[in-house]
Amino acid sequence: MTGIAQKLASNQKQVAISEFFEKNKHFLGFDSLARSLITAVKEAVDNALDACEEARILPTIRVVIEKIDTKKDIIKLIVEDNGPGIPQKSIEKVFGQLLFGSRFHAIRQSRGQQGIGITGVVMYCQLTTGRTTHVRSKISVEPTAAVVDIGLDTRKNKATKSNQGREIWYNEDGSAKEHGTEVTAQMKAKYQKGRQSVWQYLRMTSIVNPHAEITFTDPEGEVHHWPRVTERLPTKVEGIKPHPHGIELGQLQRMASESTDSRLTVFLRMNFSGVSARASKELCVAAEIDEKTKPKSMNADQIRALLEAFQGERHVKGKPVKLLNPPTNCLSPIEEMLIKKGLSKTIDSRFISTLTRVPAVTQGNPYQVEVGLIFGGNMPADKPVEVLRFANRVPLMYQQGGCLLTKAIESVDWRQYGLDQPGAKGVPKGPAAILVHLASTNVQFTSEAKEALADNGEVIEEARKAMLEMGRGLRKHLDKKKKMAKTKEKFELINDILPAIAEKSAHILGRPVPDLAGSITKIMSAVISETTTTWNKETKQTDVLITLFNYTSRVRAYTILATWPEKAGAEMVNNETGGRKEATGVWAWKLPSLEPGERTIIGYSLGGLERGDWTETDVFFRGSQDVIGASKMDEKFLEEIRRQERALSELGDADSTQEEPAEPMGEPTVAPPSGQTTLFGGDV
Amino acid sequence: MTRRHTPEETKQAMHLIVGEMYDRIVKGEPPTMTLPVRTKNNIGFDKKLGVYKYGKKQSIRDATSLGSAKQLLRALHVVEFIEEMLVAGKSSTLREMYYISEAWGLGKFGSQNESNNLAEDLEIVTKCLREDFKLRPEEDGARMIGNLTLRERNRRGEWMRINARDDVGDSGYGVPYNVEAEKIELLEHDIDFIMAIETGGMFDRLIENGFDEDYRCGLLHLKGQPARSTRRIMKRMSEEWDLPVVVFLDGDPWSFRIFASIAYGAIKTAHISEYLATPSATYLGITADDIVAYDLPNDDLSKKDIEALNAELTDPRFADGWWQEQINMMLELGKKAEQQSLAKYGLDFVTETYLPEKLAELGLA
Repeated sequence: MTGIAQKLASNQKQVAISEFFEKNKHFLGFDSLARSLITAVKEAVDNALDACEEARILPTIRVVIEKIDTKKDIIKLIVEDNGPGIPQKSIEKVFGQLLFGSRFHAIRQSRGQQGIGITGVVMYCQLTTGRTTHVRSKISVEPTAAVVDIGLDTRKNKATKSNQGREIWYNEDGSAKEHGTEVTAQMKAKYQKGRQSVWQYLRMTSIVNPHAEITFTDPEGEVHHWPRVTERLPTKVEGIKPHPHGIELGQLQRMASESTDSRLTVFLRMNFSGVSARASKELCVAAEIDEKTKPKSMNADQIRALLEAFQGERHVKGKPVKLLNPPTNCLSPIEEMLIKKGLSKTIDSRFISTLTRVPAVTQGNPYQVEVGLIFGGNMPADKPVEVLRFANRVPLMYQQGGCLLTKAIESVDWRQYGLDQPGAKGVPKGPAAILVHLASTNVQFTSEAKEALADNGEVIEEARKAMLEMGRGLRKHLDKKKKMAKTKEKFELINDILPAIAEKSAHILGRPVPDLAGSITKIMSAVISETTTTWNKETKQTDVLITLFNYTSRVRAYTILATWPEKAGAEMVNNETGGRKEATGVWAWKLPSLEPGERTIIGYSLGGLERGDWTETDVFFRGSQDVIGASKMDEKFLEEIRRQERALSELGDADSTQEEPAEPMGEPTVAPPSGQTTLFGGDV
Repeated sequence: MTRRHTPEETKQAMHLIVGEMYDRIVKGEPPTMTLPVRTKNNIGFDKKLGVYKYGKKQSIRDATSLGSAKQLLRALHVVEFIEEMLVAGKSSTLREMYYISEAWGLGKFGSQNESNNLAEDLEIVTKCLREDFKLRPEEDGARMIGNLTLRERNRRGEWMRINARDDVGDSGYGVPYNVEAEKIELLEHDIDFIMAIETGGMFDRLIENGFDEDYRCGLLHLKGQPARSTRRIMKRMSEEWDLPVVVFLDGDPWSFRIFASIAYGAIKTAHISEYLATPSATYLGITADDIVAYDLPNDDLSKKDIEALNAELTDPRFADGWWQEQINMMLELGKKAEQQSLAKYGLDFVTETYLPEKLAELGLA
């Protein structure tokens, strides 16, 4: 990605903006009138979300699109947020120069990695309509908002500002706005509906940003509203230093040349993650460089040798140098429960399953895969499922076919999980939507357009594993639904039909109504479980009741297991049957034997949840005789949970067993990459 | 021979069914209803009666599944309903019973087909006729034209004398749903045989061509699969007047079935075959070899046609050599033909050439 930055920086003096724009519009996101509008919305909304996240504000975002001139395709876009606002003197920098911002310094998960951002929108507006972009921004410590029109001087390649001033900013309800930013831009663009539209972009953004409230008024005046479903902001992510496994030659050269460190070992320890004191020495040995060498003085061959040592191509005592994994606290997954909420507020369905995998590392970059599957409801059954792809919470809307995340979906044989998939190839069909989110410090795209993720075997495998688990969940849900229908029938039979038969026949024959107990046992001839999961308004808890009836003529004994949202921070209360923890999120009760005709009830409540967080409890059994209404415990399912538990604890161990504070979280000694000079000739 | 039952006998017979359910519950078992298997695997030729009847295979409908349990409950409702009609001296159509079941709550019928089938089930188990149950069919009977005279008791209770040639219009005499002695008496005729015809178009063609008078026959329009009353009146005319019955149908697997139900008894009504079937009936055409011999315009057999023909090969009613030959020939040809395809040779071909030739083979022309 530094490619763009360097290209921009090196070309700035020679290339006119319009020419530059024309040449690069395909990867800047302005290659068609429809896409230009989406890109403009995306840049503005991403900025708003990032600013709110940094300032720990729950974002409320308003997007308005109006058609100004339908013949000439002129559109007006307004994006307003409630972010911290931008101080007057910084407005020009944010909107009028390229690559402004703090994102380049450290490696961490962030939304808009190194794009040209909102400046591109300002440029596009100027070039297509000749108009400036109006910005209004207020910070809380100032009584009034700053207003300014930002444009650019195409001859001097410089940002221009005009109509600067200050005004009181009123909300629609007449109250004074405390803080926020509003951008009003006019551009040549086309508003479209469908899968690649502003609507879809905002809808997808809302799914992965459940903490945001988004309102969108489309050109027809229709208002679309995606409410906030959680008050929890995404965890603040820590920046990390690059890991030797993920570094490229150019980057290493630059870091070395800018280093002021006196010794190579210090340079290695202070500027990279995962390098312990021992490892720094071993790397020097492997690269055959004296550890006292000044990094700045290394020649090209030495730097190449060092890189080879990084990549394990040069050995010490016949082995590659062992490096620690980078820390994974730099990632901010959305988390299962919030994905669930995000999905369910946007898509009507019968079943949702979400999964956040344990963070992993590929090529020195921490990453984490999250998936969600939503099934049923009003979704069309005969069309391919909707694929919702995200990288670091940013929706990916183009090039679906070439994306790693799509390939991970296609690698699963969905037929065994209840979706159509002719020949087990391609995206499955059915009333479902599949969400995949990759959170990573370094998202690799197939091209600079940043619309599809590049192939990576490890990441695909991780995503695939998550899909398989999701698929098993869907299968279980469908089986359960079938079984529940069957159970319901049996209950209707013994509760309604059989008594009616007994009464009617007795009436016709003029004899007494016979007792039904014997017939019922013979008809059911099974152990039946019924589970209810209900929200209790008064206690603000989720009450779960599992009832077990023995409708057989023998004594039965079972262990009953149930799922509960332990990972989401729920606590189990009033569990009078006791039992024990079987695995994370699975509780088990060994029940005393159940006499024929007897019933037993397990009841408990789940605290720490909100309404709608937990609506379906999966119940399993261990025992020889089938239980209608519960599934036989799938020991593989437990194993996978335990595997993830182990992986999680190992990661924790790895983080805590660093031999020394190899990760002082302070500023690295090497300055961030250059490229901060702006296209407009301004300084940083 | 199936015979009519008095209301008291009917009630007793129905109570046996109810008693079976009741006794099973008392014993602590799921209630059941036992009835003969109603498929082609359980019909056999009754030498004494000369028709196909249900064999000994029984199926037990027990209340272990929701569907069967509902069937039992519906049967109880129907029994109760019939008893009420017996007491009140009323009758109802099967369709009326279907609508009345709306008030039966859990025991209501899902479709009219269900109520028709259940009425048949009750007939089979009780050996009563649906007339004993005071249930009438909706189906409309056949049309008849020819020089034959009968007496029908009209709805005012008066007997009317009707000649099916002179006292009727072009649509002929409409056969009522009840053709039993209390309603219809066969008086006299001046014909040599009865010809049953599948399609209305062919029936009208023969009338227009004056075939009934030229060949001294009674023409009967079957309207596809013939209703009970149509089959019953054919049987009565054949027996009481000692007349041959020839059957003129399309040349396809479904026509073969129609013929089997006329001559041997239908699978669905095998419990009363001796009452409905005319064993002496003869299949006149269209036969498989007619398609070749007369070079008739034809259609390819569909997948369903082929399935039906294959099923007929193992149907005991088609076990005889001539039928096996016809079915196999049709399968080999892969073709079927309609009666009206004879029009290829002109409107009079059927009456001037085809039928005379076919009847001559039987010695009827």
